[in-house]
Amino acid sequence: MRRLFYLVREAWANMRTNRMTTIVAILTTAFTLTCVGIFLLIYVNLQHAAGWLQEDVKIMVYLEDRLSRDGRLQLELMLKSDRMVGSVLYISKEQALTEFRTQFPADSHLLEGLGENPLPASFVVTLAQNSRSPEAIKEWVEQVQTMGGVAKVDYNQQWISLLAELIGYIELVALGVGILLSAAAVTIIGNTIRLALFARREEIEILRSIGATGTFIRVPYFLEGAALGACGSALSLGILKVGFELFRQQVQFISRFSEMEGLISFFPLSACLALVLAGTALGFTGSVVSLLRIGEGRV
Amino acid sequence: MDAMIQLIHVSRWYDRRPALSDVMIEIEKGEFVLLMGPSGSGKSTILRMLIGEEQPDEGQLFVQGKNVTKLKRSEIPYLRRKVGSVFQDFRLLPKKSVFDNVALPLIVQGVSEKDIRRKVTEALRAVGVEHKRDQSPSSLSTGEQQRACIARAIVNGPVVLLADEPTGNLDPELTGEIIELFKLINARGTTVVVATHNHHVMHQVNCRVISLMQGVVLPERAMPERVGV
Repeated sequence: MRRLFYLVREAWANMRTNRMTTIVAILTTAFTLTCVGIFLLIYVNLQHAAGWLQEDVKIMVYLEDRLSRDGRLQLELMLKSDRMVGSVLYISKEQALTEFRTQFPADSHLLEGLGENPLPASFVVTLAQNSRSPEAIKEWVEQVQTMGGVAKVDYNQQWISLLAELIGYIELVALGVGILLSAAAVTIIGNTIRLALFARREEIEILRSIGATGTFIRVPYFLEGAALGACGSALSLGILKVGFELFRQQVQFISRFSEMEGLISFFPLSACLALVLAGTALGFTGSVVSLLRIGEGRV
Repeated sequence: MDAMIQLIHVSRWYDRRPALSDVMIEIEKGEFVLLMGPSGSGKSTILRMLIGEEQPDEGQLFVQGKNVTKLKRSEIPYLRRKVGSVFQDFRLLPKKSVFDNVALPLIVQGVSEKDIRRKVTEALRAVGVEHKRDQSPSSLSTGEQQRACIARAIVNGPVVLLADEPTGNLDPELTGEIIELFKLINARGTTVVVATHNHHVMHQVNCRVISLMQGVVLPERAMPERVGV
């Protein structure tokens, strides 16, 4: 018990002795992890948005004007009996016009001059939960496209593909930046540990002479590295949270994006804990690298 | 009697210059031995080898029957726990109290809190600095610092006590006190080896003297004075 207490106390003493170096190490680690965190936050939110869009896939099946009422009913029946289809909603030409006028009041005069209602009747189809993969949607759309009475089938596939592509890029960038900045964090913490080792080389000599094992000598430095990493990552989470809240306030302020507010979210608690753990692991790695490189702590 | 320390044909070179040449030494269990010789004669090299800090280029060293030259790196700390070391410069940790300094070898070994308190108190009492237990080493006189260093060396009951120029920083009066302390420790059964160039020490203790000159052991009882050193 006293041994453990001694090791923890030594790690704390190391950090206090080299206070300035410790603060600089925590701040720089926090900065690098914040950069990684920004990418992660964007990535997580885009994934969330992609999931939400996927959930909300609505396929517009536009009907030919010449389609009879019976033909339309038959088509509706066929769609409803399809196991890939979750729900079908019919929008008549009149309803489409009313909706257009409601959604775009400033542009409604454009249709006045045409005399006849140019908007087609349509079915708004929502696919069943298990049929919403991009491949399944594409296949279904191609199949419906060939049905009699169907003028055109439209859905927000482009948006989904674009978002998936964007997420792919961000994933790559986040990975690259993550690796690069993690290496930077390891180096920063490693250098701090090297300074601590240099400052306490006499003490290490004394410990060796009285029979301390290499592990006993190294543990305080491992603890110090891990503590620096944990503090740095916790601080980076704090910075990210503050930044995130400011961003959310801005989104709220701009009414145009007010709906977006519900879509964006910060890391869940489990992810926060994982990030702190990752920071701790980076710090630990930094001290291991440092001790290995200069061969300190060996008997 | 059993041999506590054995050096068999030990040689060591620094930059092709011999620091020790074919040294043969045997020290019995419970003996008090003075390693005498001028600076550079090889005294400290022998002590460093006995705690595994250095390895000979030739020959073998045994401590309590264990071949030090064959020890793995991971086994050396356990050798050092059986061999107490006292240094000329005391090597006390300035930021720790006298008690904490003396407790260090026990903490390293994972001794229980209760035993640490008991053993450290006993060691401090044995060397006569118990009343300074809560003070920092810098507030102690040089003699008291050396006593604290000796307390640290004996606190875990080593089989051998090695002292490298332990009186180098002390005046003759304090030197006498420290030598008396070593005699007391030796009387309890610990083998004591003191390396010194101080001839006054030799007159204060009636023990075997091993004289070294340029890495060579001189025939016993051939005192450095007699050979013109």
